[in-house]
Amino acid sequence: MIFISKLVRYGSIAAAIVGFYAIFMISRTQAERQLPTSSDPPIIPPQKPYVEAVAATGILEALSENVAIGMPSPGLVSSILVKVNDLVKKDQPLLTLDNRDLLAEQLSTRAQHEIARAQIAVSEAQLAKLNSQLSRLGAVADSRAVSLDDLENRKQDVAISQAQLISAKAQLAATESSLKRIDLLIDRLTVRAPRDGSIIQVDVRSGEYAANTPKNPAMILGDIDKLQVRADIDEQNASRIRPGQAAHGYLKGDPTVTFPLEFIRVEPYVIPKTSLTGSSTERVDTRVLQVIYSLTRPSDPPLYVGQQVDVFIEAPDHHPKP
Amino acid sequence: MIGLALKMLFGDTAKYVMLVAGLFFATFLIVQQASVFCGLMLWTTATLRNVAAPIFVVEERVEQINETNPMRDTDVDRVRSVSSVRWAMPLYSGIQRVRLSDGSFKTVQLVGIDAASLAGAPGRMVEGRLEDLRLPNTVVIDQLATTRLASNPKDPSTKIKIGDRFEINDVEARVVGICEAMRSFTGGPYVWTTYERALQYTPPSRKMLSAVIAAPVKGMSVEQAAADIERTTELRAYVNHNFGKDTKDFNTSTVWWYIRNTGIPISFGTTVVIGFIVGVAIACQTFYSFVLDNLKHLGALKAMGMSNVRLSMMLLFQAFTIGIIGFGLGLLATSGFAMGALKNGQPPFFMPWQIPVFAFVAVQLICMLAALLGIIRLSLYEPAMVFRA
Repeated sequence: MIFISKLVRYGSIAAAIVGFYAIFMISRTQAERQLPTSSDPPIIPPQKPYVEAVAATGILEALSENVAIGMPSPGLVSSILVKVNDLVKKDQPLLTLDNRDLLAEQLSTRAQHEIARAQIAVSEAQLAKLNSQLSRLGAVADSRAVSLDDLENRKQDVAISQAQLISAKAQLAATESSLKRIDLLIDRLTVRAPRDGSIIQVDVRSGEYAANTPKNPAMILGDIDKLQVRADIDEQNASRIRPGQAAHGYLKGDPTVTFPLEFIRVEPYVIPKTSLTGSSTERVDTRVLQVIYSLTRPSDPPLYVGQQVDVFIEAPDHHPKP
Repeated sequence: MIGLALKMLFGDTAKYVMLVAGLFFATFLIVQQASVFCGLMLWTTATLRNVAAPIFVVEERVEQINETNPMRDTDVDRVRSVSSVRWAMPLYSGIQRVRLSDGSFKTVQLVGIDAASLAGAPGRMVEGRLEDLRLPNTVVIDQLATTRLASNPKDPSTKIKIGDRFEINDVEARVVGICEAMRSFTGGPYVWTTYERALQYTPPSRKMLSAVIAAPVKGMSVEQAAADIERTTELRAYVNHNFGKDTKDFNTSTVWWYIRNTGIPISFGTTVVIGFIVGVAIACQTFYSFVLDNLKHLGALKAMGMSNVRLSMMLLFQAFTIGIIGFGLGLLATSGFAMGALKNGQPPFFMPWQIPVFAFVAVQLICMLAALLGIIRLSLYEPAMVFRA
C-alpha cells in the first residue's frame, strides 16, 4: 500500500516534469514545421527602370506592321513558292491557287475563238460569192434580161453578208477579250507580295484549302529587321500617358533581356483588350490604349515577332499623395 | 512547514489522485481544444502560408483568402504601375476536381503562379525541380497529395510519384515536383501550376484572376506599399505577416471572417469553458473535503500557536503544488495528442505560447479558488474544537 502511494506520488511528479519538457519539444517541432515566410520569388522579376512608371503588356510586331496576306478567292493551294524567313521583293509570287477550272474555260474559249475565226472566213467567202453574183448581174448590158427585183435582192444579199462579216469579226474580238479575261483571272490566282519584306509565317501547304478569312491568314509578311512593340495600357492608366515618354521593355519569361524603346505613336483609338495570355475564352469589359514603340533587334538573344513583352513607361503618378 | 504541507498533501493518495485528475482534465481540455481551434484557424490561412508573398491585392470587398472575387487581367498591370511596388504577379487560387486513374474524384486547391518569375511558388521542395513547371501540362503537388491522390491511400506503393499523371477537369496534369505545404481548411491538397495553365484547367468564367501578389520597393514598408496600392488602384491590398491585431493583415482578416461567420469558435470555446468548470468543480470539492479531513491536524497546529496567515500559506502552497503537477500531466497528455497530430498532419494542431501560459493561469486560478474555500473553512475553525471532540 505504501509502495503504491509512493509510486503515485513520485510517478505523478515525474510525469508532470516530462509533460513540461514534452510540450516544450512540441512547440519547437511546431516552429520547425513552419514554412518560410514571404521571400523573393525564385527568379527575381524585372526591376522597374523608373520611379514612377505605368506598366503594360506588349507584343512584338514587325516594324511596318505585319501583313496578313489575303487570298483573292478561296480555293485549293496548288503550290507554295516561298518558305518562312525568305526575303521577298514586291510583286514576287508567293503561292498559286488551283486554276484548272479557268484553264478548262480557256480551252473552250480558244475553240470558240477558232470557230469565230472560221466564221469570218465563211462570211468573207459568202460575201465574195454574192459580190461576184451581183457584179455578174450588173455586167449584163441588156437591162430587160435582168429583173429589177432580182438585182435589188442581190444588192440586199451583199449588204446582209457584209453585216454578217462584221458580226463575225466582232465575235472574234469578243472571244479574244474573253481569252484575255481568263488570262487575267489565272494571273490573279498567283498571290504576290504586296511589298518588300520577309515571310514570318506560312500557315498553308499545297493541297490545302485557303479561305480568305482575316483571322487566320495563310501567310504573314513583315519587315523583321526592325521590330515594334504594341503596348496595351489599361484605360484607367491611360490618362498618365503622353507622347514621347521613355520606356523600357523586358522579355516575358526572361527578365534579364531588357531593351530601351523608342516612342513612335499613341494609337488614337482605344480598343477592347484582346487576350494575350492564352486563354481564348476570356471575356473582357475593359478597353486598352495602345502605344507603339520601336526597337532595334539586339543581336543576342534573338527576339521573335509575336513574343510578349513587359513594358514600363516613365509616367508621373497623378494620384494625390496622402 | 513546506515538508509538513507536502506530507499532508501526499498523505491521502485517493484524494491526491482525485485532485490531480481534476486539474489534469481541465488542463488537457483547455490546452488541447484551444490548440485544435488555433490549428483549424491556421488552416484557413494555408494559402497565405503556402503562397508566401508580402502583399495580396484582391477585389475591393474581399475579406478572406478562400473566397475571392475575381479581377481583370489588366489589374496586374495597374498594381505594377504603382510606384511603391517592386514586382506584381498574377495568382489563381481555387478549388478544382481531380480525376484519378481509377475514375474516382478528389478536390484539390489549385494555385496558378506566374510562369516567368514563379512568384508564389512553394517554399520548400521535397523532390523534383520547380523550373519544370514550365514544361507543358505539369503540376507540383504537396506531400498530402501523394497519398490523397493515390489509388489506394493505405498502400505506400501506389503513392503519386514524379511523372505520374491525373486529370484536372479533363485536362492532363503531369507531376514534376513534390513540395511541403500547409494543409488547407477544406482538406484538399495543394497543386501548383502556372497561371496560364490554371486558366485552362479551370472552367472558363468572365474573370479569372483571384489575386495579385506584390512586393514593396526596397526601403519601403509593406504596410506603406499596401496603402499606396489601395489609394491608387482602389483595390484591397492586404499584407501577409501573421495573425495579429492588424486588420490590414490578410491572416487576421481571414481568421476573423471564420470566427464571425462560422460556429467553430462557439463549439471550441464551449469545450474550453467546460474544461475550466470541470476543473473548478472537481478541484474545489476535493480540496475542500481534503481540508475537512485534515481539519483536526490543522486545528492542532492552530492550537499550537500557528497563525492563520501561515496556515493559509500552507494551504496555498499545497494548492499550487497540485496545480503544477496536474498542469504538467495535462501537458503530457496534450503532447501525446500533438505528436500524433503533427505526425499525421491531422487533426489540426497549433499551439502558440499563449495557450499554455493562459492554461497555467487558469489552472492556478482554480487551485487558488479551491485553497480559498479551505482557508475560509479553516479560519472559522476554533482551535479549542480539537480538544472538545
